[in-house]
Amino acid sequence: MTTRLTLGIVLVAVFALGSTAYAHHGSASYSQQPTTLKDVTVTQVNWGNPHTLLFFDHKDEKGTVQHWVAEANAASTLSTSGWTKNAIKYGDKVTVVFYAAKNGQTVGRVGKVVLADGREFGDGSLIGDRPSVCDDEFTTGGNEAAACRPGGRITNNDQKR
Amino acid sequence: MRFHVWSVLKSSAAIAAAVILLASAPQAASSQNAEPEKQSGPAPVHDLWGMWTGPNEGLLSNRVPTMTPAGRAKLDANIPDPFSASSNDPWKTCDPFGMPRGVNNQYGLFGFAQMPGRIIIVNGFNRTWREVWMDGRKLPQNIGHEGGPSAMYNGYSVGHWEGNNTLVVETVGMDERTWMDRRGYPHSVDAKVIERYTRSDFDHLSMTETVDDPAYYTQNPFLFAKQDYRFVRNQTDLNAPIPFTSDRLCIPSQAMDYMKAIGLPADIDSATGQKK
Repeated sequence: MTTRLTLGIVLVAVFALGSTAYAHHGSASYSQQPTTLKDVTVTQVNWGNPHTLLFFDHKDEKGTVQHWVAEANAASTLSTSGWTKNAIKYGDKVTVVFYAAKNGQTVGRVGKVVLADGREFGDGSLIGDRPSVCDDEFTTGGNEAAACRPGGRITNNDQKR
Repeated sequence: MRFHVWSVLKSSAAIAAAVILLASAPQAASSQNAEPEKQSGPAPVHDLWGMWTGPNEGLLSNRVPTMTPAGRAKLDANIPDPFSASSNDPWKTCDPFGMPRGVNNQYGLFGFAQMPGRIIIVNGFNRTWREVWMDGRKLPQNIGHEGGPSAMYNGYSVGHWEGNNTLVVETVGMDERTWMDRRGYPHSVDAKVIERYTRSDFDHLSMTETVDDPAYYTQNPFLFAKQDYRFVRNQTDLNAPIPFTSDRLCIPSQAMDYMKAIGLPADIDSATGQKK
């Protein structure tokens, strides 16, 4: 309860102030090397935006259960790959190929999900930060474009100092 | 001539009907025109009606002119990346893109509903719309200043045709809280934005976005963004998102859930408990 309350206060601060002590994560926070966990149990799917969230439990070799959450793409984008709102449900046993956070937290980015019946969702690739080509007249407008701002990409308060 | 903002509300039923018609158009076309046309026909005159699709993100200029001190201060205060806990991108909390960002960020599916005296531009992202007055009225003056009308997120827009196939939209009075794009470029309340939509043939449309804002930029006007789009003929277009069968919405509660589940923990170094 206390933890939830504390987190709630932090969240309120984040949204109220707009910028806080936390650094940018983006896909740069994730390992470039995929992790594969077999026979994990889906505990929740937040189908939505900005990214769909897949919650799952994994039991390690010592029998300890780890609670993971991995972000996939936006629901509207996933729809084009056949992944629908009800395609992956609570209790499903699946294999998840994902890119774990470098900081050791049990969060990551979905590469693909393989269901027990063999169906696969996701494209298997890490959609990460791509280098911007600032010398070109135009740049594609992802977050990477911010690297071409005067002074380069500024994504947190530390970098501003 | 007075600017009839509230007349929009009076005709909201007509706008709603137009949006519904636009929304249903791709589905109706899909059963009649299952195969994509191999060769595009000529562009019809003064006609952009229907839905258009292309990349979700506009091409953003790397030739943005030097900023004034006031503009640079605003830029420095804007921290991009809506997926980051440290960002103050209005998108992160699902605030409106408004103008001029609305036509260069998540603009991969949009449409035009033409009606007497105005054109409604609808956007698939967040299912928003804005009106462009085509009846010759003048833009209001002194917007956002004492004695003038209030600035609005989408500003005030008038348009006209140049030649047979180019729609020119001029927008002023944009709320300063909107960013120019996802990079965080700012604009002042006195900025003017010109969109040019040129239909080169039946299936192809190009958009350019030009900005004139002497308060924040030293060389004006300047080309800020551009992108190319294709007419949505049916839903079998492999280059198109699925028109009107997916929710392309920014939902605040989901955005907060995302930040709680991913944004915050991904930013914490578990070894030290400190931010990275």
